[in-house]
Amino acid sequence: MKQSLMDIICCPLDKQELELDATETDDEEVITGTLTCTECGETYPIEDGIPNLLPPDMRDVEA
Amino acid sequence: MTDLADRRDVETEVYQPAEDSHLLAETAVADLGDAPKSLALEVGTGSGYVAERVADETHARVLGSDVNPHACVQARERGVEAVRADLLEPFRSDVFDVVLFNAPYLPTDPDEERDDWMEVALSGGEDGREVIEPFLESVGRVLDPDGAVYLLVSSLTGVDEVAELAAAEGFSAVALRDESFPFETLTVLKLLR
Repeated sequence: MKQSLMDIICCPLDKQELELDATETDDEEVITGTLTCTECGETYPIEDGIPNLLPPDMRDVEA
Repeated sequence: MTDLADRRDVETEVYQPAEDSHLLAETAVADLGDAPKSLALEVGTGSGYVAERVADETHARVLGSDVNPHACVQARERGVEAVRADLLEPFRSDVFDVVLFNAPYLPTDPDEERDDWMEVALSGGEDGREVIEPFLESVGRVLDPDGAVYLLVSSLTGVDEVAELAAAEGFSAVALRDESFPFETLTVLKLLR
């Protein structure tokens, strides 16, 4: 995900701002890291450049 | 992706572009025309086809969201900025100028629902509107007051019923284009406030 996505996304639970902790980046994008809600503290993973912003109760749903 | 087993996975786990995708992409591109730089979101982007076309053929920056992780990977491979999301939940208020949605719309008998990603991509529940309803309830939050929604609706789902649901959320609906097929007519609705 691009850094500029931070101005577009929010916590799906309480719509508050997220804080980015990038562990792997390339020239343009965050490849791996986490997004943490500044209000409720819920964390969301970024893997292979894709932020997973499903609420926690839907996160593990795999068909 | 050359391995046959991998390809079969992709074809069964992610909805691939079809007549409805083409109609939504063409109609949105034509209607947006030369509109200045804007921010767009395709909800339920699937393969990313519609998002990619709108990004290539307009001045919009286009994000794609999907609940299906395989769809997010495919959309990203097409160059679409992908976000795994439940409809519009993780997006800020008033951020989008344009929201596109080719919703899962086929009316489905609950006893016959399969538990897989293709079912999620296709099924609109018993009346075909089980995904469109929560979408319409929340799209107003993320949409700029002057923004527009492009929604693909089938006659199987009920175009009038969808327009009524949109009206209840403060939107007026205009049918931009219709296309008839043997078992349904597809319509692209543009919703404005």
